[in-house]
Amino acid sequence: MTDKVEDGLQAVFLANRGAVLRFLRARGAGSDAEDVLQDVWLRIAQSRPGPVAAPMAYLYRVANTVMIDRYRSVRQAQLRERDWVEAGSGPEPGVSDSPSVERVVGARQSARQVEATLAAQPPRAAAIFRRHKVDGLTQRAVAREFDVSLSTVESDLRLVYRALADLKERIDEA
Amino acid sequence: MAFDQTMLDEAAAWAVKTSDSAFADWDGFTRWLEGDPDRAAAYDHVMAAADDGAALAGVRTVPPMPAATEAPVAKHAANHAAIDFARSEKRRLVVGALAACLTVFAALWVWSVQSADLVYRTQAGETRRIALGDGSAVVLAGASELAIDRADERSARLERGRALFEIRHDDSDPFRLAVGTAMLVDAGTVFDVNIRAAEVAVAVSEGAVVYNPARQDARIDPGQELVFDRGSAAYRMAAVPRDQVGEWQAGRLTFRDAPLADVAADIARASGIAYRVAADSGTQRISGSIALDRLRENPAALGPLLGLEVTRRDDGWMLAAP
Repeated sequence: MTDKVEDGLQAVFLANRGAVLRFLRARGAGSDAEDVLQDVWLRIAQSRPGPVAAPMAYLYRVANTVMIDRYRSVRQAQLRERDWVEAGSGPEPGVSDSPSVERVVGARQSARQVEATLAAQPPRAAAIFRRHKVDGLTQRAVAREFDVSLSTVESDLRLVYRALADLKERIDEA
Repeated sequence: MAFDQTMLDEAAAWAVKTSDSAFADWDGFTRWLEGDPDRAAAYDHVMAAADDGAALAGVRTVPPMPAATEAPVAKHAANHAAIDFARSEKRRLVVGALAACLTVFAALWVWSVQSADLVYRTQAGETRRIALGDGSAVVLAGASELAIDRADERSARLERGRALFEIRHDDSDPFRLAVGTAMLVDAGTVFDVNIRAAEVAVAVSEGAVVYNPARQDARIDPGQELVFDRGSAAYRMAAVPRDQVGEWQAGRLTFRDAPLADVAADIARASGIAYRVAADSGTQRISGSIALDRLRENPAALGPLLGLEVTRRDDGWMLAAP
């Protein structure tokens, strides 16, 4: 049953290989773009998405997610000892897989800094951010819920993303 | 690395657009990225900040706000005679919004200082059952830590270790569990979460759990186990017999082709016996099923059960592949 779906997606994938490669290069994959493209296809094959309404947008979305995950693993390796993201403490067999006390405290501090950053935003913007990014509602659904236009939702989200980006920059540089 | 401010503004705009599942302008996004080689990094930075911010903020949900209050101003502004009134009205609204903002800020500040979380910790070998007000329960394994939001028992964070969740489902108020930067949302559920050195395993025996609804949005059904990387958030799915989910509660652990390092950590957590792994044996694959009671009587009994060499050391028991 999924074979047909995957055949369809595979055809779209093959026909648009060049466009997705171009996207991956622009997205920072550089000379690894071909390898990343393979990861993209593997991920699609593994997730067996079922019928896809807009296959091109779906391919791009998966490619973008693969790049986001790559960025995260590289950062994770760089910031193994940092606090922004609670890191794996590395294999310490049989003893404890728990993060160090400093790291747990650090993750809590980050959580508080995030709360403070959100609290410093206009209340509607912070609430819209939570509904979209935490609860996973689409931007259209959020717009309906708050009775505002889609572009208002976008500008509220931009504000919060921007503030969080500044916070992350401060934490990363600390 | 310091980013150019204008570039960050643009990156935030694209991050917002691409966050939405309905986004379709990938060509436009590609062209923007191609305009400057630093833009990809700025976009990654904003996207990671938004994702991590959502995960760290994810434990609480704010109810929807009433619709914005700009309408009366616009109406009065249309009438020249009412302009002054409109101005003062507008000022009042701005002051009001500011005050509301400060109230929320102050409340959250007090909230963080007083720590709204009830924190439960266990020693290795101990298990603890935590009853929640709504009839749900959490069984916390040994050497584990769980924080529950005092103000909202439907929000919790597993800081380390392992726990079995028996959650009474409420569609309008799903139970959310944060693990590092990942978010698990129940859909009527008994599920087990195990934080390992590099990965987190989520196994479901009843109902379903959704992994990171805002990103991967992966559904875990009964008899399935999702294992995600703590760094990259990438995940894989595997089958798990439903009766083995949370069986540690009853004093049994089953492993299928699991690395010895994880096996030793799981058994040490559940039994309170200090098992360690010889440096070269951590990646050795192990299968088997262990009753913990017998190990407590004789820790060396693990050897024949799993085909390992077990050596007594001053600080515990050393496990090695033969």
